[in-house]
Amino acid sequence: MPGRVGDLPVALRVPLLILGFLSLLSGILGGLARLGWAVPLPSAQALALHGPLMICGFFGTVIGLERAVALGRRWAYAAPLMSGAGGGVLLLGGPWQAGAILLSGGSALLLTATLRVVRRQRELFTVTLALGAASCLLGNLLWLGGAPPSQVVALWGNFLVLTIAGERLELSRFLPLSQRARQVFLLVVLLLLSGSVAVVLQRAELLYGLGLLALALWLLRQDIARRTVREHGLTRFIAVCLLSGYGWLALSGVILLASGGLHAPGYDAVLHALLLGFVFAMVFGHAPIIFPAVVHVRMPWHWTFYLPLLVLHASLLLRLAGDVLADTRLVALGGVANALALLLFILSTISSVIRGARE
Amino acid sequence: MTESPPTMPDEATVLAALRTVNDPEVGMNVVDLGLVYGLTIEPGRVAVDLTMTTPACPLGEMITDDARRALTAVTPQGTTVEVRLVWEPAWSPQRMSVEARRRFGWE
Repeated sequence: MPGRVGDLPVALRVPLLILGFLSLLSGILGGLARLGWAVPLPSAQALALHGPLMICGFFGTVIGLERAVALGRRWAYAAPLMSGAGGGVLLLGGPWQAGAILLSGGSALLLTATLRVVRRQRELFTVTLALGAASCLLGNLLWLGGAPPSQVVALWGNFLVLTIAGERLELSRFLPLSQRARQVFLLVVLLLLSGSVAVVLQRAELLYGLGLLALALWLLRQDIARRTVREHGLTRFIAVCLLSGYGWLALSGVILLASGGLHAPGYDAVLHALLLGFVFAMVFGHAPIIFPAVVHVRMPWHWTFYLPLLVLHASLLLRLAGDVLADTRLVALGGVANALALLLFILSTISSVIRGARE
Repeated sequence: MTESPPTMPDEATVLAALRTVNDPEVGMNVVDLGLVYGLTIEPGRVAVDLTMTTPACPLGEMITDDARRALTAVTPQGTTVEVRLVWEPAWSPQRMSVEARRRFGWE
């Protein structure tokens, strides 16, 4: 397959993707161990480092890869390489500081690559993408400096939330978006940024909940998914993923507001509504276009794409019910079903790629 | 494999071929989205300039490959098919076709 001049050959992108997925698998196992399940762990610290593995290891790598493919420049692939290596150090039981340094380097490179995009196209959505990458870098540096993950988790969350918000704003350019809607979007971004800082400072954390809720309402009102959900096949599937994800985003904000901050008892529910419900619904929806774009495979549309999404939502309902009822067994059960949803997603992706190769 | 056509396609045929290349997220083809910037048809060569709505979009490579495949199917064997990704001038919603703009609620 002819790549662009100066771009990384497709064959060399695959190992980067695999590196990211190793972080994901270790992160899932760490999460299950946290809930009390006796699962094999790649290293004992995978339990404590569940969050960094999932967000910085997995998402740092795949988003870095996605941005590098968009930019088509070889140096930009150093971002997913460093993030993937950082995740690798963490999951193999290496010193966490070494992992944190690599992850910081990865996010610094992602920020550099994104600023390159901003320079080419100075728009609110590209700036939002850059703020997402900057949030990740800041979170990583604070973590490296000794802040516990629970304190920087809103910064890490914003890495994903702002990246997604920026991409959605970009797509909303197909629609006649009013000046007012743009201004509200800017306000929402400012709310999310100040909210993540509030979580670091452990005061006025409600700001973050307000930001999440406001973003959900903005997206539910303005996103092109509201129109494309009337289409067919893959286009509709993506829209269903998005709209259902926005529901979880809204809920995460509401639960945070109801718990008075990002701490127990709402901590598990807020973070998993946000990072599993919202973020992974987005991942499920976009994998059938991003995978083919990154590694040049075909993923023909198939109705079974809906199965992992269904299990994701059902399992998250179970987990959040457990959170609300303070029933740890229910939370643990929901957690296993969450893992099952992610596993189903990986299997569905692989089988779709095989189907695509046969066609 | 379908057989290659014996003669060079005209502009309408080339555009019809490009109309089979979709942005999967939006469910609309690259012609109606206004992503086709240039079209050259001469004996033995078809060249198309395509843009993406943003350089942050990772689909560029895939969509240019799809376009190349669609054009190869409507050109005689041995034709040089060139699809270039260009960024100037930056895409804007005004470039969408009347049909697309109506569908997205512009008029």
